[in-house]
Amino acid sequence: MDFNFSDDQEQLRDAVRKWVDKGYDFERRRKAVEAGGFDRSAWNELAELGLAGLYISETDGGMGMGPVEGMVVMEELGRGMVLEPLSQALIAGGVLSGYAPDALKAEWLPRIAAGDALVVLASQERRARYRLDVCDAKASRSGAGWSLTATKNVVPVGDQADAFIVPAMANGAIALFLVARGAAGVSTRGYGTQDGGRAADLSLRDTPASLITTDGLAALELAVDIGIAATCAEAVGVMDKTVELTAEYLNTRKQFGVPIGSFQALRHRAADMKMQLELARSMSYYASLKLNAPADERRRAMARTKVQLGHSMRFVGQQSVQLHGGIGVTDEYIGSHYFKKLTQLEMSFGDTMYHLGEVSARMQDTAGVFA
Amino acid sequence: MDLAFTPEELAFRDEIRAWVKDNLPADISHKVHNALRLTRDDMQRWGKILGKKGWLGYGWPKEFGGPGWTAVQKHLFEEECALAGAPRIVPFGPVMVAPVIMAFGTPAQQQRFLPGIASGEVWWSQGYSEPGSGSDLASVKTRAERQGDHYLVNGQKTWTTLGQYGEWIFCLVRTSTEGKPQTGISFLLIDMKSPGVTVRPIRLLDGECEVNEVFFDNVKVPVENLIGEENKGWTYAKHLLSHERTNIADVNRAKRELERLKRIARTEGLWDDMRFRDQIALLEVDIVALEMLVLRVLSAEKSGKNSLDIAGLLKIRGSEIQQRYSELMMLAAGPYSLPLIHEAMEAGWQGDFPGGVWANAPLASTYFNMRKTTIYGGSNEVQRNIVAQVVLG
Repeated sequence: MDFNFSDDQEQLRDAVRKWVDKGYDFERRRKAVEAGGFDRSAWNELAELGLAGLYISETDGGMGMGPVEGMVVMEELGRGMVLEPLSQALIAGGVLSGYAPDALKAEWLPRIAAGDALVVLASQERRARYRLDVCDAKASRSGAGWSLTATKNVVPVGDQADAFIVPAMANGAIALFLVARGAAGVSTRGYGTQDGGRAADLSLRDTPASLITTDGLAALELAVDIGIAATCAEAVGVMDKTVELTAEYLNTRKQFGVPIGSFQALRHRAADMKMQLELARSMSYYASLKLNAPADERRRAMARTKVQLGHSMRFVGQQSVQLHGGIGVTDEYIGSHYFKKLTQLEMSFGDTMYHLGEVSARMQDTAGVFA
Repeated sequence: MDLAFTPEELAFRDEIRAWVKDNLPADISHKVHNALRLTRDDMQRWGKILGKKGWLGYGWPKEFGGPGWTAVQKHLFEEECALAGAPRIVPFGPVMVAPVIMAFGTPAQQQRFLPGIASGEVWWSQGYSEPGSGSDLASVKTRAERQGDHYLVNGQKTWTTLGQYGEWIFCLVRTSTEGKPQTGISFLLIDMKSPGVTVRPIRLLDGECEVNEVFFDNVKVPVENLIGEENKGWTYAKHLLSHERTNIADVNRAKRELERLKRIARTEGLWDDMRFRDQIALLEVDIVALEMLVLRVLSAEKSGKNSLDIAGLLKIRGSEIQQRYSELMMLAAGPYSLPLIHEAMEAGWQGDFPGGVWANAPLASTYFNMRKTTIYGGSNEVQRNIVAQVVLG
């Protein structure tokens, strides 16, 4: 039981923080938002740092690192509200490494690690909401391969991605496929998202696809769990900055002749924000340290974590706006962007109510960090 | 980073688990598991069993006869005791005053007082709060006037937990009114059998007498019962508060009580009621998050790092969780938590509790009793002031 980071992990953190501080300031981010919510050159810079290949083995051109490194990186990206969805590279790296046939791995993993291929999870369907076992996409045999017909919504940077990981029904069960954006029958409709980022609806019509695995539900669950751990770490980074910013504001803004941070009503709110931040950080550690656990244990841990993070994100985000007063609801001020980011993260990979249902369904007689 | 305990820590846990299983009297754990009334004898019997093994002072260093355990070992010991249904160690002697005597007492005081604390023979009480001194503890007024070889003590303490059983009491007393309130306080050990000491129980909202008023009327206390220097008592009291920071969260007891809540929900037919079950699920998340917070503090202590900015959160969250599980237990029994039958809270009661489930008898009383947790030990509002100080400066 040890929550200290190794020297290597601290160095990784420093490297990412340096890039965020120097290379990804609020102005650059704002320009990226105005340009549509995705900056391929920023993506390439992340890849140059090796981050796109974090979960890809060194033989496949990656860094061969684990969940704790993933957490460290995502926290730092959260601090800068980086729009480019590194969590998608972690998902693609983790799922393809774990489930794809060798030929598919050889074709895609080195390109993902290099940043040349941006591969994203395209799983969201209207009828399923957050459920993973509900899928209307259809896969059918087509010669030696497969062909897919599907509609997926809110696919991260869907119109800029190079390929999609797509769950679809094959012979009555969910299987996972890889679809190249250039394949026949692929169409996308891109749009901005509330956090300043980008997503797209994806339509596949008899589109040729490569099978990743017929054990699709298990693979999809892993994909989502990697996403949850990454999202929670990212959220901790965002909340760290939010609490810092709010404390600074309380100590400088004056009303009635004194800093408003001298008022006990506001001081207690700041204490409550700190509470929610530290509970969230604790659970983010928990999620990352459980990411390699057996599926049952892993799923329960992710659900618990997402419930805590959901509460924390909502509280910290809303209270930060409230404590800032009028300035907190302006677009010009960075605080409102933290709030929107936190709101979007709460609804990524299952929201608080959905995961509370998961915790509830998975409850056993005993419970704790180790059960 | 690693969530798992080391093999040595796990072996230690197994050793504790086996020992507790063999040595914790079943009649006592039955009471604890069902929140039935514990007597003085129950508490002292378990204390003496631990004392004989050398574990009542489980936080003590080896030089004073303790086991010299690490922060993690102490946590594992607390966890095994809690999950097995052991009563909480009455903390006033072994957890509170003993570390002060070790740090600031004379060798003579250490030899005189520590053995009785370690064995569980002597029952200690805490004399901090006064009618006019709650959260503002530095305002204590109980006076101790030096008169030759003794102090003459006059005043009143209150909220003295289990003081009706107390044989000795450690008190914050005013020895000077000069300067800041904190600078005129001394730390005095008082024999409760001394002439002039009167203990009067206070009946609380749950009908029990868990706390007391203690009156001091011209009580003579020998000067050799003064700890450290006169007027330095506030420093010693703060030292006391800095001890056992994780223990205050009581997360291990919360884990045990969560299991009990689930049993009650099953008995009351609520396990499959989604609306109620979700409330249990929320509590489960809260408890896991608190446990992670506790483990983070332990990890920091293990590696000698300062964990102050999160340790302050433990009391707030832990006490809120204690209140929540007691509330949910009461709500689970619903109307069957309402009958007030004092005898039904005694182990072995043979009567017929309304609805037929005797385990429902103490639920409402426990709920009422638990309102104390956000008030004592520095109210949660005072705790928030402290946390805010960390965040805002």
